Amino acid sequence: MAEVISVSELNRYVKRLFDTNDLLFDLALRGEIANFVQNARSGHCYFSLRDEESSVKAVMFRSDARRLAFRPEEGMRVVVRCRATLYERDGAFQVYVNEMFPDGIGAAQLALEQLKAKLNAEGLFDTAHKKLLPRYPECIGIVTSKTGAALQDIRNVIRRRMPSVRLLLCPVTVQGFEAAEQVAAAIRTLDASGKVDEIIVARGGGSREDLWVFNAEVIARAAFACQTPLISAIGHEIDYTILDFVADQRAPTPSAAAELAVPDRAELLRTLQDLQQNICKNMQKRLDLCYNGLEQYNYALEQGLPHRTLQRSEAQLQAVRQAICTQMTSRKTLCTQQLHHAAALAASLNPYQVLARGYAMIRTPDDRICTVGQLYPGETIRLRDALHCAECRVETVEEINESTQEL
Amino acid sequence: MKAPKSFEEGMERLNDILTRMQSEETSLADSVKLYAEAASLMEYCHTVLEKTSLKMEEIDAKLAQTMQAAEEEN
Repeated sequence: MAEVISVSELNRYVKRLFDTNDLLFDLALRGEIANFVQNARSGHCYFSLRDEESSVKAVMFRSDARRLAFRPEEGMRVVVRCRATLYERDGAFQVYVNEMFPDGIGAAQLALEQLKAKLNAEGLFDTAHKKLLPRYPECIGIVTSKTGAALQDIRNVIRRRMPSVRLLLCPVTVQGFEAAEQVAAAIRTLDASGKVDEIIVARGGGSREDLWVFNAEVIARAAFACQTPLISAIGHEIDYTILDFVADQRAPTPSAAAELAVPDRAELLRTLQDLQQNICKNMQKRLDLCYNGLEQYNYALEQGLPHRTLQRSEAQLQAVRQAICTQMTSRKTLCTQQLHHAAALAASLNPYQVLARGYAMIRTPDDRICTVGQLYPGETIRLRDALHCAECRVETVEEINESTQEL
Repeated sequence: MKAPKSFEEGMERLNDILTRMQSEETSLADSVKLYAEAASLMEYCHTVLEKTSLKMEEIDAKLAQTMQAAEEEN
């Protein structure tokens, strides 16, 4: 019979045996997860790994669990890197997990495909639900790691393209299985804040496992419920996560997301310039049109119409004047002719003309012209022909007998 | 004659005058009156256009300043 030892001594002894074994110190172990719990306060994870026949207790400390790229689920087949040893206090044999990977991407991929199919069936990927990004956002909410390159990339692009845009960061861890809940909460917080015009969920490049968080259903649901337009920018070009399908717009990189999110200031300025030039030209054209319209009246009035009326009136006046002139001339001619006639007539009736032909006129002493029958014998009369005058005494006055007249 | 309220009204009245002047029935005295009215309407319209043109130049200058400032800031 050996010496009696205490429980503590036993446990310490066995632990030392384990700890000196190189194989147990760092081994890869395949198994299925069971009874997974995470201590809310400490953040440490407790679960069992099992196969068809056996199981072993497992612990993953917060510092290691933080780096988990996926959320360990009940029944998930995993491979862990761990150290197998004894938990002295309970005498419990357990493994301390440093890293955990899904066993063969196959199983995880299957789960992913199943989730994708489920969400698709629910309509979370429908293009009908996709919201348009605002053209001129003033504030952009960003869900990413405070220290990551993604944030820096986004800030650089936005500072270059549209420096006036404000960024509101909701910092999250982008790896570890807590990341999913944090990202979802961040989306909800930014959306509810009402301060942001759009949201970018970003994470720089990483391994497929690193990005696995963004396949989480909780993120997909938060993104779908989000009223604010959401851009996903997870990893690089080739990486697609479920969030990419739910997001209103998927960007291949965080920088590309920033470019999608804001318009280019220089380009806007060019557009504005074009617009201004167009408006200017348009205005000038309008003015020219008005000038032309006015010029047409100007021409019509200055060159044409009033002058035409005036010319017409002048022509009429001219015609009337000519008619009157003609009238006057012909009237004058007529009068002249009449005058000539009258003059000729008068001339022909001139008694002195008759005297020229050899006749003489008798005049009484009181200078009246009288006939022979009016004379008395003894009376003194004057005889006159065309050129001479004679004073005579009337001897007799006899009536001439027509029949005895000497011819 | 009342001054027109706008360029458009002035143009409309000018057009009206043109039609009336084209009519053979318009007397010489009336056509002279119309001519005088047309002249003052034309002066009015022309003044409006000159003012508009000037205003546009002012705006252009202001706009050019703004755009230049925006470009320099960029």
